Amino acid sequence: MKWTRKDLLTLYDLSGEEIEYILDTAAEFKKVSERSVKKVPALRGKTVVNFFVEPSTRTRVSFELAEQRLSADIVNMQAQASSLLKGETLLDTVRNIEALQVDLVVMRHSVPGAQSFIAKHLKCGVVNAGDGAHAHPTQALLDLFTIREKKGRIAGLKVAIIGDILHSRVARSNIWGLLKLGAEVTVAGPSTLVPKEFESIGVKVCHDLKEAVADADVINLLRIQHERQNASFFPSTGEYSRFFGIREESMKFLKPDVLIMHPGPINRDVELSGAVADGPNSVILEQVTNGLAVRMAVLYLVSGCVQK
Amino acid sequence: MTSQKELVPAEKMLPEIKRMALDIHRRYSALEQDYAFVGIQQMGVPLAEKLKEIIERETGYSPALAKLDISMYRDDISNRKRLPLIRETDIPFDVNDKILILVDDVLSSGRTIRAALDAITDYGRPKVIRLAVLVDRGNPEFPIHADVTGFDIDIPAENKIVVSFDNEPGIFCREWNS
Repeated sequence: MKWTRKDLLTLYDLSGEEIEYILDTAAEFKKVSERSVKKVPALRGKTVVNFFVEPSTRTRVSFELAEQRLSADIVNMQAQASSLLKGETLLDTVRNIEALQVDLVVMRHSVPGAQSFIAKHLKCGVVNAGDGAHAHPTQALLDLFTIREKKGRIAGLKVAIIGDILHSRVARSNIWGLLKLGAEVTVAGPSTLVPKEFESIGVKVCHDLKEAVADADVINLLRIQHERQNASFFPSTGEYSRFFGIREESMKFLKPDVLIMHPGPINRDVELSGAVADGPNSVILEQVTNGLAVRMAVLYLVSGCVQK
Repeated sequence: MTSQKELVPAEKMLPEIKRMALDIHRRYSALEQDYAFVGIQQMGVPLAEKLKEIIERETGYSPALAKLDISMYRDDISNRKRLPLIRETDIPFDVNDKILILVDDVLSSGRTIRAALDAITDYGRPKVIRLAVLVDRGNPEFPIHADVTGFDIDIPAENKIVVSFDNEPGIFCREWNS
């Protein structure tokens, strides 16, 4: 196959073959960062705008470094500094950005679907760096990349995603990607955060940690997002940790070669203990390394499809 | 629809590859440093493997072999509507001070070789880089020429030259009937 999309909006839109294509491309870009010259001219002369309407540090830094390693020129825009605060509509703001002859817009926004909306109106490429609770495709791609690299495959693996599934774009994107590549997915957490409705998209819903993780090949622990929870979904973080946190003792009932993943930032001793986060099964820092490779691959692929 | 015409049959192509291999060894084995092959993806890789095999069999010397994909170094990324898959780059040795023989199946505009020179020099500073190709189409757009050539084939630019090493070996001309 050949890549033909100018935008990366959600993994829901992609075929399994397209997802594999990104992962295969990322494997070659990973090697670039392992060389002494960590830069290739693939996006030389291209301009990328990182437009973050919602705060982000790690995703923005990862995208920025990926763009630099591809030799792109970069502009960073943040909501606080943008005209959105002066009453300009989102579409007007991005049309103004495009009028500066940029090639790609990497955008994070708190409103689900914001990127899909602007992508329809722009000739330049759009990469979704997270839209509300909807999608975070590059996070899911880096998770898939890490799983595939460590386990050699994704089809047939049992993956448990634990935590706040309801509010998580990481969970949704992971579920779509994992199902398309043939994994079996179980989601688990307090019933307030893991509603039964998720069964309709083809995952198993579980409210008991032990049951969810006992035969898992991969456990992806999501961060308890204090900033998204105005209402109380569980009594206390202490209680959450007791019922759904992974501790050293938990390792006894897990597969010995289970992968422990977390999209970061970790709340130590809430989702997982320090010993587990730093232990031999943890691939949390490798996820960060792989994020760079996956974002380089995505930027490279979509930039090739922007009409000039 | 495409139609394919044979330009060079296997019984002519294979002896020519052997002649190239021996020529390369004669020229570059006399030098102080070892020489190594860098096959350019996609069809330069099997050609480099064949050259290496022949040299091993005929001389006992075993040159190192690298694979190089030049997609990230192309000068036409933005002119292409669809990007081909990036294939493996694997350079299992230090290129500094080495004698490198770039290997590709067909030399046409020279742009692939230009990209390969940029790519390989990001890995270090080789002592000497030379170029071996099975087919030279004789229409360079850059001042790039092969040091070792199998066949000079001059056919119109719109026809693609395809080299095959497996099922049906040979050199073919593919015409596009739109």
